[in-house]
Amino acid sequence: MATRKKVLLKVIILGDSGVGKTSLMNQYVNKKFSNQYKATIGADFLTKEVMVDDRIVTMQIWDTAGQERFQSLGVAFYRGADCCVLVFDVSAPNTFKSLDSWRDEFLIQASPRDPENFPFVLVGNKVDLDNRAVPQKRGQQWAQSKNNMPYFETSAKEGINVEQAFQTIAKNALAQETEVDIYNEFPDHITINNDTRNVRSDNCSC
Amino acid sequence: MGSTCQDNKALKEKLIKNVKKEVKQIMEEAVTKKFVHEESASITSLCAAVEACVSHGLKRRALGLFKSSSTTALLHKIAKAFQPAANVVQLIAEVENCDPNKRSSSSGGSESASKLGVKPPLQKRNSVATMKYLWIRLALIEKHLAKIVDYIVANSSKYYEKDALVADPDYGTILSSLLVGPCALDYSKLRTAEHFWTDPPADELVQRHRISSGQFPTPASPPAHKRPGLHYKGSTGFSNSDDNMRSKDYVESLHQNSKSTLLYGKNNVVVYMKDGSEPLAGYLSLHQCGEALLLKWTPNQLMNGCTETGVHDKSVYWEHALNVAVHETVYVHCHQGPESDWIALVGQDGVQRPPIHFPRGGHLLAFLSCLENGLLPHGILDPPLWSQRGKGKVFPKLRRKGSSRFHTSTSPLAREESTTEDLVSEKGTTDFVFRIVYPNFTRTYPQGKMLEDMLEYPVWQSSPSTPKSSIPPTTPRSTPLHSVSTTSSTSSSRSLDQQCSVQEPGEPIQVVCQTMKKQIISRAFYGWLAHCRHLRTVRTHLVGLVRSDIVKSENPTDATQGLTEEKWKELQVSGTVDMKEIYRLVYFGGMAHSLRKQLWPIMLSGKLEGEDPEALRREYEDKMSEWLAVEAIVRQRDKETMAQNLAKLSSEGGNSSDPQPSPKVLHTHESNEVFVDAEETLSSEPTEGNRNQKLRSVESTTASPLKQSILSEKRAENGDVVNIKASNSSNSPREKPREVSFQADTPVFFDPSPNKHDDDDDSDVSSGGESPVATRGGVYSNEILESFGLNLHRIDKDVKRCDRNHWYFTESNLDKLRNVMCTYVWEHMEMGYVQGMCDLAAPLLVILDDEAIAYGCFRNLMERMSANFPSGGGAMDAHFANMRSLLQVLDHDLFALIRQNGDYTHFYFCYRWFLLDFKREFSYDDVFLVWETIWAARHIASADYGLFLALALLAYYRDIILANSMDFTDIIKFFNEMAERHDAKAILQIARSLVLQLQTLIENK
Repeated sequence: MATRKKVLLKVIILGDSGVGKTSLMNQYVNKKFSNQYKATIGADFLTKEVMVDDRIVTMQIWDTAGQERFQSLGVAFYRGADCCVLVFDVSAPNTFKSLDSWRDEFLIQASPRDPENFPFVLVGNKVDLDNRAVPQKRGQQWAQSKNNMPYFETSAKEGINVEQAFQTIAKNALAQETEVDIYNEFPDHITINNDTRNVRSDNCSC
Repeated sequence: MGSTCQDNKALKEKLIKNVKKEVKQIMEEAVTKKFVHEESASITSLCAAVEACVSHGLKRRALGLFKSSSTTALLHKIAKAFQPAANVVQLIAEVENCDPNKRSSSSGGSESASKLGVKPPLQKRNSVATMKYLWIRLALIEKHLAKIVDYIVANSSKYYEKDALVADPDYGTILSSLLVGPCALDYSKLRTAEHFWTDPPADELVQRHRISSGQFPTPASPPAHKRPGLHYKGSTGFSNSDDNMRSKDYVESLHQNSKSTLLYGKNNVVVYMKDGSEPLAGYLSLHQCGEALLLKWTPNQLMNGCTETGVHDKSVYWEHALNVAVHETVYVHCHQGPESDWIALVGQDGVQRPPIHFPRGGHLLAFLSCLENGLLPHGILDPPLWSQRGKGKVFPKLRRKGSSRFHTSTSPLAREESTTEDLVSEKGTTDFVFRIVYPNFTRTYPQGKMLEDMLEYPVWQSSPSTPKSSIPPTTPRSTPLHSVSTTSSTSSSRSLDQQCSVQEPGEPIQVVCQTMKKQIISRAFYGWLAHCRHLRTVRTHLVGLVRSDIVKSENPTDATQGLTEEKWKELQVSGTVDMKEIYRLVYFGGMAHSLRKQLWPIMLSGKLEGEDPEALRREYEDKMSEWLAVEAIVRQRDKETMAQNLAKLSSEGGNSSDPQPSPKVLHTHESNEVFVDAEETLSSEPTEGNRNQKLRSVESTTASPLKQSILSEKRAENGDVVNIKASNSSNSPREKPREVSFQADTPVFFDPSPNKHDDDDDSDVSSGGESPVATRGGVYSNEILESFGLNLHRIDKDVKRCDRNHWYFTESNLDKLRNVMCTYVWEHMEMGYVQGMCDLAAPLLVILDDEAIAYGCFRNLMERMSANFPSGGGAMDAHFANMRSLLQVLDHDLFALIRQNGDYTHFYFCYRWFLLDFKREFSYDDVFLVWETIWAARHIASADYGLFLALALLAYYRDIILANSMDFTDIIKFFNEMAERHDAKAILQIARSLVLQLQTLIENK
């Protein structure tokens, strides 16, 4: 028992406002869709335990505000992320176009150890709508051009492909994992591997 | 043939009877126990009975499947056509893919996910039976079973033989209707061991706290210190809107479960409360959780609390519930009386728990022997119970005097016991005092005792007026320490010194005394030093946060009732209405809901006469006509780009081998980038009519009628400006879309009122004058058009998802909100629309129900709030910095925790609180109260009252935050889950007292 490790994966969902970030997260974690979600202000997260390659991992999925004006908040929330999910709305080309800026902004603010190989996953949401405007091919091409990130077309409303997308997210994040020993009373000060980023130990200098 | 038919009939009869029996069983269980456990045996038998019915006469061959459970195969078949069945199939798949060690559970409190967490142990325990009925069980718990069986009955011809039970016209319907009842029940579940590894939801934390701290309720009262205290005690009076669920969960935790073993349980055990209130009957239980023993007593009112009829507050019972860790208990006093036997537990701290009364008849002995067993192997009862052959455990054969002999010499409590015995019991009763001893720790124990004695003895010596024999039994042993902490440190330590010298002390005692003296003095010194430091912080940072003049709630009149209708009438009649008095009343007690519509504009404008509604309306309509015209242009352009885009898209789609990467394609018409939102444009089509209607409605009320048609376009003198004139032409922009063609970088000249055109050049109609487009009829550069278009899209996106669950926001009222929003943004193009503005405007509109007035109020509100928005002036960072300083001064423990966890000194968890003025933290009705208090506070207590509200929220839950030593993520999650469930009144009260505390602190510097 005492040697049991718990893996915590921090996943950040980014994308323009209204692409369905909150819905995706809730569909995955709670298997529910609601049309009552409000615009996310600040940030919220849900956790879910999943099985990845015979390991139990806890995914901490962070949902963020979509308006680019709030990007400056990112520093507080992106830190220590293990995977970043970029979401766009397949019926709104603008949301597809801002993907580049979301990705760049994330890399700047989260400043991951190895930005070249940081795991991203691209999700084109709202495939249940009829007025699709971004063809699948474009999504694929963009994903390919960015270090061949996985691409999923989902519908948070109908629950299409959501599970699969997050399974991949978990898998890719695990490669980037940060282990936290849950039996330690002060997990924040323990770094398991020397080369693992020390997620929280940097004392705030403000 | 006839006989087989008869047999068949009898069989069906029997099957149905079984189901009936099981349904009856489960419904009875639900009624008597108020809940049915998911793992209840009755569920399994019901599942078996249903399985028997459903598999009767099933055409296995027709299904083409020969699996062991053919009903599962049937389910898979119908899942294709029937949604509930498909859901169940999905659940089965999840459960089956689940390794028994794996639980998927979510923090979001999802029903199905946490249920899955319970399934695997079922598989382990009786896998064959459970797996066989798995789908039925899942369907039952998910409440789909009746529907599915109904569907099977309706489609029985496909899957069943003619003589099958479900194909029977009578039995089939009977079966499905029988299952309706069980499907309506809620099935409860136990927490599995795995739940302890996941973070408990906020609810559970609050509940746990309530139980553990319930014995010593601290009422929420404003601190009234002589010298302002530096720490506030957690004042936690929780709202208990969902007590029922809590008590249900709590009661379940009393059962034996995988985490704790139930050693003893007895109902109707009576506890006499210290406060002298009515004795309460409840359920006493003894649990073993790992090494620890826990004694719990829960009032009956909570035990069957799920459907208790009484509406009254249960929190009083929660306060009485006992939860005692046995290892913290030193003595068990037993008293056998003629009416009942009772025990009283005395803790290490010397505090006696309320006496617990058992009914007569050996229950006390049974409890003690369970306790003794539970203490093994580490602890024992001293003296031990005696074993007697044939009778089991008995009380040790020690007479009354004997029992007191044990401890008279060592503990004043034992003395106390002996005196009460003399008073109370003369009827040959037997009393005992058991000590709970952990032999492993005996070495430290006598030492502790010695210290205690040493401390007590001199005090009683030094107060000769109190004879030793008449020491009131309630005097706690900590008296001397208490005096040290309350009186000034130097004098008390001196007195301690004297006290010590009264005694004939041995060497070690003197040394101990010296050490204590030093410690006390140094502690006092450090306390003083910390106080000085805090005061310095207060002086330098916090003086500006509160007003220096303390306004009292009771002077000149009691303001705690707030501004009631009567009060308002009174004020008006007496002619003494002044803003200050309104603010004072509202600050301390809010205002009557009926007054809000009238008084909110006054409060927000800060002027008693408010703003002239007519002028406001004119201004609003002017502004609106401006942006409506721009919107028309933007829509037109959108549509054109859309058409272009679609054309491009379809041509591209046709040519699948097109090697060009998509982003490039889009970038070719970059100038129109923001207008290519296909969804927006498409969805705007049906509302085009509405827009026109809106235009017309504006026309009817506006002084200068606007016919928003674009009559002509012509190149202006610089050759690059398009002049669009509004005229009385009946053409609508929709009908003449092709007349206007826009080119990139073409400024558009728009003049809505040609009649006034001549004097427009030098007359500035708008009052604000900040807006680049504020003049009526102006040159709208392409830049402005684009930027407004972008804002429109954002507004549309947010308006349609703003407070959809609130009754007010119907389609038409959402349109009003949109108008207010657009008008404000049109006037403040340099800021533009930022998410959160809708949230701030919505409650205003709900109260005022008038676009123009709501707009005026929103503008006033935003004067203060806009600084919080990103790029609005960095007020947010200032808030965070102030929070830090305030917390440091007002709650050092919490501050220490936050600093220890390093990563949330930035206080980002308060972001939404400040940005939206707590609008999302409270329920809608409470938001009204909170807002008007904030507005009033500006003039009464603090311009940054929000800070104190934030602190009050932290203070309210501080014990929970501290007990769980929450880090940044925990705290975000906690408050996000608690959103809209706070007790607004209590939190406002705490906030007011915090302001007062800081004011006093500053005043006393």
